[in-house]
Amino acid sequence: MRIFINVFLANLKELIRDKTALFWFLAFPIFFVFLFGIVFSGSSELVFNLGIIIEEPSEMTDKIVEAMRAIDSFKVSVARGEGSEEMKALQKGERHIVIKIPAIDYQKMASGQGVEILVYYDASKQQTSQVLMSVVEKMFGEAEHNITGIPEIFKIKQEAIQADKLTDFDYILPGILAMALMQLGLFGSLQFLSLREQKIVRSLGVTPLARSTLLISEITLRLLMALVQTFLIITIARIVFGVTIISNIFVVFAVVIIGSLTFISLGYMLISFVKSNEAGQGIIQIVQFPMMFLSGIFFPPDFMPSYIQAIVRAIPLTYLGDALRQVMIGVYSGRSMLTNIIVLSGWLIVTLIITIKFWRWD
Amino acid sequence: MDELSIEVTGLKKYFVGAKAVDGISFKVKSGSIYGMLGPNGAGKTTTIETLVGLYRRDGGRISVLGYDPEDDLDKIKKLIGVQLQSPSLFPRLTVKEMVNLFSSFYPQPMDPVEVINQVGLDSKENTQIRFLSGGQRHRLAVGLAMVSNGKIMFLDEPTTGLDPKARRQLWDVIKGLKNNGVTVFLTTHYMEEAEKLCDDLMIIDLGKVIVQGSPRELIKEFSQETAIEFSDPGLTDLSRKALEDRQLAARVSYEVKEKRIILYTHNVPFTMKKLLDFGSDHKLAIDDIVVRRASLEDVFLKLTGRGIRE
Ligand SMILES: Nc1ncnc2c1ncn2[C@@H]1O[C@H](COP(=O)(O)OP(=O)(O)OP(=O)(O)O)[C@@H](O)[C@H]1O
Ligand SMILES: [Mg+2]
Repeated sequence: MRIFINVFLANLKELIRDKTALFWFLAFPIFFVFLFGIVFSGSSELVFNLGIIIEEPSEMTDKIVEAMRAIDSFKVSVARGEGSEEMKALQKGERHIVIKIPAIDYQKMASGQGVEILVYYDASKQQTSQVLMSVVEKMFGEAEHNITGIPEIFKIKQEAIQADKLTDFDYILPGILAMALMQLGLFGSLQFLSLREQKIVRSLGVTPLARSTLLISEITLRLLMALVQTFLIITIARIVFGVTIISNIFVVFAVVIIGSLTFISLGYMLISFVKSNEAGQGIIQIVQFPMMFLSGIFFPPDFMPSYIQAIVRAIPLTYLGDALRQVMIGVYSGRSMLTNIIVLSGWLIVTLIITIKFWRWD
Repeated sequence: MDELSIEVTGLKKYFVGAKAVDGISFKVKSGSIYGMLGPNGAGKTTTIETLVGLYRRDGGRISVLGYDPEDDLDKIKKLIGVQLQSPSLFPRLTVKEMVNLFSSFYPQPMDPVEVINQVGLDSKENTQIRFLSGGQRHRLAVGLAMVSNGKIMFLDEPTTGLDPKARRQLWDVIKGLKNNGVTVFLTTHYMEEAEKLCDDLMIIDLGKVIVQGSPRELIKEFSQETAIEFSDPGLTDLSRKALEDRQLAARVSYEVKEKRIILYTHNVPFTMKKLLDFGSDHKLAIDDIVVRRASLEDVFLKLTGRGIRE
């Protein structure tokens, strides 16, 4: 343990005393937060156009409409019966989302069949629809276990309204963090590559120091850096751009650690296949660049052809972005947190296995 | 029978395109200083690095303090200190931090302050390694081996690149190690160093042992003559033959690189007279004459036909 701490401190000193590396490490997230913060600061709070189609009005549906109207940023319009005018409005882009509440068949419900609420959304407005979907989901989510005929099935929870102050920048912020973590993990592996290439690993190999200790201390340092960057990004976003983070910071940190480990492992896997630092840079660029654009962090992937969407669904950054969006601003994409964590851990385990198989110490 | 610290038999290490070590055997007595000499590319570094477990050998047997580096490397590493020929260290740590770091790896390290003092880096202890001069860096590397407080020190060219004063200081340090019962296994290009320091040595070339023994034995065996050295006056093939034909009562050697001609003789006045005659006959200026006792350098020259600094 003492050896681990000493080696960790040595690595830390190497980092802190490398002024250029330190500068970029600190400047990169700050730069991105300001860049996106300024670009999106002009855009006002999002206004959501919401259509509600009610097949059969009741006390309950009135309550729902009332609750929706209570949300500042919702512009709600209601149609009865078929509601084809609302559907048209959606097609014309005048609504972000249309919710259709069917006539409630209490008999069906009693037999445990539940009410199916249809949500139509405008796929071209992915960001806003996602925000809305998550609000709607939260509102109706409670209904499921209250299903046995209690009139207040759709009890609306006020906390769900967290989303009503969201701006575009709030939406993008978790993406920036996810990207920063990806880069830190992937490019961080180059540090070990240079220890290897400069033969520092080999030179230390004549001492009783276990090489695994060297590697673990390096990983620990990367994790620490990830937490520092997270803290920086969140703090700046909060102080300068007034973003509120809904979860406890430690919940965010937990997701950050899982995401970072995944990308650190991916980075180490990549450098197992190369010898020189230049080759390492190259292979990491090849991987990280498409990932950045395809992950849906900055651009909605809905427009992309379906085979690309398949890639989107495969890459870990998509899931880290999603997980962070959930814990930071409470926007649900329809994917559960568990799915995100499972996919990220899956990537972690697979890359780790490959890394162990192909790892080279010198 | 003396106790042995290192015992190597028939060691082989081949690289693609180079038989770096090709069947070397030797024994190092505990508490002695053992030197390995040889020109560039002879296989010295490869031998040391195989002994300390950086390379897997391709043949032969190794025992370091009774352990085989391929089986018990972890045990060996705790018992030895190693100075690689060109070690890479954390460039941004200071000398003191680096020595402290290394000392934390060993069960019973030497006092880092003491080590820094012994290798003469007191005034540089707070300097980052990347700002050290070549010689200072080299001294640090030796210090990092010493801090292990190991039973054997493996030193790969410990004095290369040191100024004369630093070199002499390091000799004292190495002798001090020996006085404390430490076994030292070192490589060098300097015959003078090997003569002064080593109890035993071997000369290797192209991965093979040329000769081994104590410096005294080797000089006695191979060069009882006195050497007369002078700068090459520009001998043509013809005059070179004339020189060799002349009854000089000497063996003639050429050190091509340094443009020196060396005559080995038992009869200095006779040979000298003949040499001067030869000069005036051929209208050649015989300059820069040095008469000296034969050294290990001459042993090497005799055995390999070329100088060691080639
Ligand atoms: N890793 C390697 N791969 C291939 N060839 C190597 C390697 N290391 C050494 N060699 C070759 O093995 C031979 C012996 O090299 P070695 O470094 O042991 O020589 P040395 O006696 O230490 O020389 P020097 O006095 O220059 O330090 C050389 O011909 C060298 O080119
Ligand atoms: Mg060498």
